[in-house]
Amino acid sequence: MPLEYLAIMAQNSAPKPQRELASPSKTAWCPLKKPISESRVALLSSAALRLANQDPFVPREDLSYRRVASDPKAGEIIIDHHSGIGRVPKEDPEIVFPRTALAKLVDERIVGMLSPFYLSFMGGLRRHREIEDDLAPALAQELKQAEVDLALLVPY
Amino acid sequence: MVIGTALDIMSKVAPPRAAFVDHPVGCTFGSPHDRSRNETVLARALAELPRFTQAGEIRDLRCDWTPGGDRAWEEELRAEMLHDH
Repeated sequence: MPLEYLAIMAQNSAPKPQRELASPSKTAWCPLKKPISESRVALLSSAALRLANQDPFVPREDLSYRRVASDPKAGEIIIDHHSGIGRVPKEDPEIVFPRTALAKLVDERIVGMLSPFYLSFMGGLRRHREIEDDLAPALAQELKQAEVDLALLVPY
Repeated sequence: MVIGTALDIMSKVAPPRAAFVDHPVGCTFGSPHDRSRNETVLARALAELPRFTQAGEIRDLRCDWTPGGDRAWEEELRAEMLHDH
């Protein structure tokens, strides 16, 4: 049986009630429109990660996002997320933001092409309504303008 | 598609498509600097995509953290997460 993270979170928050998990108010479902080998793919991360030359995220309720170049050689990735799990991914952000692996899959023609940029924001926010009403539509608009066919979100 | 390590959280939140990786949280695509593993996990997730038939489905990528499936890492991670809090 997989590790139960909600139980650990409950133990961490006691005696206060466990934080609320919110689901989208509307179910999203978009059929695949083309094979992956012809699709433009983007990564999304909730690790509040950015390039070293971009403005830092401000824990804990930062609702902004960053465009991060998809080219793995574009520069060093910094993770601003406050989570205690961050020691290992901060050593190598590719394990939560696999830019190199995705570029390799394009080279191998398993994936069609990369989005010119990926998107990063702060996970663990409590402002659910603003995420659904403001942040998520802004991210979706970025993906639409970049003509992305497939978005891969890696939670942090 | 969400690619995540916390099956219980993904089950509650129910994203449209989710791929479960049975790795420690924060190590979704493997250990640091293991580029081969990064690519393997990502390729497996992408290969699952055409198999989703409805919103809320979670597909297990069958990725064990240790070669023999040993789960001692769970206790270490639990202790670390409780200690760091």
